[in-house]
Amino acid sequence: MDIYERTDGATVLVAEVPGAKSESLDIRVDKGVLTITADGRRESLGDQYARTYTGFMGGQFFRAFALSDEVDRDNIQASLSDGLLTVTLPRAEAAQTRKIEISDG
Amino acid sequence: MATLFRWPGNWDPFAGLRVMQRELERLSGRGGFGEGRNIGGGVYPPLNVYNGPTELVVECEVPGVKREDIDLSITGETLVVKGVKHPAGESDEEIRYQRCERGSGEFSRTVVLPDKVEPEGISASLVDGILTVRLPKSQAAMPKKINVK
Repeated sequence: MDIYERTDGATVLVAEVPGAKSESLDIRVDKGVLTITADGRRESLGDQYARTYTGFMGGQFFRAFALSDEVDRDNIQASLSDGLLTVTLPRAEAAQTRKIEISDG
Repeated sequence: MATLFRWPGNWDPFAGLRVMQRELERLSGRGGFGEGRNIGGGVYPPLNVYNGPTELVVECEVPGVKREDIDLSITGETLVVKGVKHPAGESDEEIRYQRCERGSGEFSRTVVLPDKVEPEGISASLVDGILTVRLPKSQAAMPKKINVK
């Protein structure tokens, strides 16, 4: 998984979920913890196919992250393409830099 | 002394050696199948080889790799999977990595197939980050029933 911060302050998570369909994905935020589950299991080719070499087994994916208060939890977006899941965590309005005006005393 | 039998014309004296080399690579933890490069931990890309009744199936896990970045070729019984894995971030944007586990770069893996195949009948598809190559076996590699008269 890659995690990077964009110039607009949003944090982007990129996870490899080969074999997973979008309907098998479950992304949720509960008590400030973001959990990502995906299912990459596929139907086997059948008994007539013998495994000559095995380098990977399709499986289930799970990862959890505690979110900071700086993440706008209501506007989290996710997309899936080519077995790559991208979750965008925008920066909350309250966490943006603000200039504080000094009032005349 | 009369010749009792002859090796068939396409007999490959090194087939046995190649199988042995593959087994040794597997045992020594090198992952087998040639010059695989490590990207994001482990030999990349991970692959499976299946031997079916009429075809061989090779599967590769290449999440995030685009169709146009994959180069597949076959010479005899040697299948080569080459490609480029690009980093996830938008290239024109300045980004700050906090965690970079996936890795990126060029990759190449060589698979010595366990049977002879028909190069014309090979098909490949890329779905959900898994590349599946189907290679029909050549007639010579298929079992043939012989009728006794």
